[in-house]
Amino acid sequence: MPVRVVESSAPAQVSGTDPGNRSPLPHSSLLGAGQAFSGTQNVSNQQKEEAWRVNVQIQGVDLEHGYLCGTMEALNVPMADTPVITFWEGEIVDGKNYTFYTGKWEAVREDDMRHWSKFPSFSPLQGQVESDGGRQLDLRNYPYIFMRWKEQYFVNVGTDCGLTIAGFYYVCFSCSDGSISGFYYDPNSSPFQKLELKTVNEGRSGFSFSSYELQ
Amino acid sequence: MPTTTSSSSSATASSSSGNRQADVFSRLASSDPEVKLKALREVKNQIIGNRTKKLSFLKLGAVPAIASALSDADDSDKCNNILVQSAAALGSFACGFEAGVQAVLDAGVFPHLLRLLTNPDEKVVDAGARSLRMIYQSNLAPKYDFLQEKNMEFLFSLLNSENENVSGLGASIIAHACGTSVEQQLLCEAGVLEKLVILLDGSLSQREACLESLATVLKNNPEAVSHFVGLEAGRYLSSVTELTKDRYPRTRLLSCLCLVVIYNTSPSYFLNMGTKSSLINTLLELLNDPGQSGDDAALGLSSLIAEKEDLQKLAYDANAIKNIVDILKTSSELQPKRLQGLISSLAELCSKLEDCRCSFLSLQVLDLLINALRHKNADVRTAACICFRNAARSIKNLSAGCFTSDHVILPLVQLLHDPSSSVQVAVLGALNNIVLDFSSPKSTFIEYGGIKQLIELSKSMDPNTRCSALRALRNLMFLADSKRKEIFYSDVKAQGFACLISDPEPPVQEQALALLRNLVDGCISSIEFVFDEDGLILDTVGRQLRKAPQAQMAIQGMYVLTNVASGTELHKEAVMQQLFPQGQAEPENFMLKFLQSHESQLRSATVWTIINLISPSSPGALDRHVKLRNAGIIPQLKNMVNDACLDVKIRIRTVLGQSMSFGDN
Repeated sequence: MPVRVVESSAPAQVSGTDPGNRSPLPHSSLLGAGQAFSGTQNVSNQQKEEAWRVNVQIQGVDLEHGYLCGTMEALNVPMADTPVITFWEGEIVDGKNYTFYTGKWEAVREDDMRHWSKFPSFSPLQGQVESDGGRQLDLRNYPYIFMRWKEQYFVNVGTDCGLTIAGFYYVCFSCSDGSISGFYYDPNSSPFQKLELKTVNEGRSGFSFSSYELQ
Repeated sequence: MPTTTSSSSSATASSSSGNRQADVFSRLASSDPEVKLKALREVKNQIIGNRTKKLSFLKLGAVPAIASALSDADDSDKCNNILVQSAAALGSFACGFEAGVQAVLDAGVFPHLLRLLTNPDEKVVDAGARSLRMIYQSNLAPKYDFLQEKNMEFLFSLLNSENENVSGLGASIIAHACGTSVEQQLLCEAGVLEKLVILLDGSLSQREACLESLATVLKNNPEAVSHFVGLEAGRYLSSVTELTKDRYPRTRLLSCLCLVVIYNTSPSYFLNMGTKSSLINTLLELLNDPGQSGDDAALGLSSLIAEKEDLQKLAYDANAIKNIVDILKTSSELQPKRLQGLISSLAELCSKLEDCRCSFLSLQVLDLLINALRHKNADVRTAACICFRNAARSIKNLSAGCFTSDHVILPLVQLLHDPSSSVQVAVLGALNNIVLDFSSPKSTFIEYGGIKQLIELSKSMDPNTRCSALRALRNLMFLADSKRKEIFYSDVKAQGFACLISDPEPPVQEQALALLRNLVDGCISSIEFVFDEDGLILDTVGRQLRKAPQAQMAIQGMYVLTNVASGTELHKEAVMQQLFPQGQAEPENFMLKFLQSHESQLRSATVWTIINLISPSSPGALDRHVKLRNAGIIPQLKNMVNDACLDVKIRIRTVLGQSMSFGDN
């Protein structure tokens, strides 16, 4: 009979199915392929207050490697005629594949701590992260998932659209209600642009889940 | 008969050579030993290394004629030369030429060749042994019954021989005729490993024969590997490892293949990163060898790195992808075996590592792969499909539309009707991944009639094919828009779907339910599909769930109910109908069983259904809550507040929170 993605040793790791228990962090239903989120990114600067509507869709999750990916759609962007869609890849802070320290993208430890500490759910972990990088932390039972999301390319516009994807987001996901908050970090952009998203149910009264299975 | 040139002068030449050929036959049958001998030498000298000549002499019946010469020869000294030359000629016919091997065996001369091994004249023994070795290189060689004691004795007498061709023959017989673990065990118990390793210190030809037979005896046999490694405290394992640096390419290759077998059977003997790296680098370097060694190196490499992420990483770091792609791009006409090996190696490299896939795709070789999809050799087509499948495991590249163009999709769709079943299986795997176009509005696959073909395959006699087809359809329906769902549904309808969900094979049912789950996700109007024809599909789902299904199937079934229950009041009530069918006394509601499952995903899916049913925003939530409570479901959840799975625990707390809002403590 056909080999199952989750149990077999061979096929894909990035999954659109509900995975097994080999991963550093356990599966969370609302952070799965097909899940959609909607909200805003606050891009205010000294001149004005501005917020873009943002839709995010998760396309794949590979907990074993601490990886996930998806698209981000920004609406009502002044420089663009149409919504701008980017593809992003995420690193999940699980203590095995990735830690709270970014170690790249021009973000040093101070930047990391400055951003993570803006999430209320990070406070209980802050002490340990500051002292030993969070090596002893058991994040498996923590109902929040911390990630970094980095946009990789524009899906529907050219690179000359006047927008940048040079930075990345520090992200906090709440396992209980699927809400997401994030802060965009780019040394060349306004600091602490806040991303706030909630799950989207497409007019339904409840949650709906789809899945795929790679071979 | 193959022609060489078409000029008139060569036409004359070929007709006179034709005459000479016919003439040599009469001389082969001569009663004068000198004449016979000369004729034998002539044939032998013409055919050595010349496939065309071999074929032409074969067609004229040279093999039976030479076989007669051999079997007619008596034991006199004069005849020894005839024995030597006829054995040599027969060996030459068999060398790398399957039709020659078949002809030699058909001529019934094999027993005569065996008898030569006990001839007092060393030259005769040599010729016989060499000839037999050629036969044993082929898959057509006779089976050797290792289970018979006298055969084992004979084999060991060969291995014990001072004559390197004879001991080499013994090793060759093992290399090519030992096929089962029973045979491996018998050989090991008889002490074959101890005999073979002596040959490692022998001549080049003995060494190579030894390496080949070691690989055969050790393959997938941990006891044999352990025995071999234990010999003289690992001295022979070190010898084999040293031989990977030998000056002869074939020795390097055979020792590498031997190490690959040992690694695949018992990886613990290779803790050293350096050895792994060195093995990979040697195989990579051997890929460039023009002969059979290059072919074998490619297949050996793919076998070594298969399923092993760490080795794939080492190979990637050693620039394997670029090296293999360069060979593919610059070689004009690769032998099918080499092409298969190279493409299989690329496929293995792309199997687990995203870096490898991105690197491979950036080298712009999809055109090469597309050509391979059209290759006349089925193994090459299969390897190409597998390579596509593995490269398409990259969501990043799928999302970027790397695989959506016509000239990728069309040849793949065409292969759904390939005569070879291994190609069909492989292409279904590739399409399974490639159809994930993440709600892109245009689908070339659908335009080429892909949906119809998959639906056809979902009705195949073979359950694996049904399963694969449904899985691909499931992926095609992931985040699909209404238009795409309509196209699909119109070809299946409620009856068709009900059949799929009721398939006798659980994995097929599972995929059918997962497909349905995707169908009813998305826009709320999609839920209406399950109500078509008086709710036939929903009823079928409910019936299957009540039948104590396997966990994986139940998970998908519960997600169907979850998705339907996320709809309107009517939808939620319809789900309740399935959970609590009227007029049926259920000893224990299946939801209770699922909540007690060992599978956390099943517990999770079941809780989600409940969450949606009692979602506070809907008018009938309170009534449904009462029913669930009375059925013992809410109380069961209270017992699970500390579920071992965090996700389940969180969902249960959501339910209990909702429950409390209904005034339930």
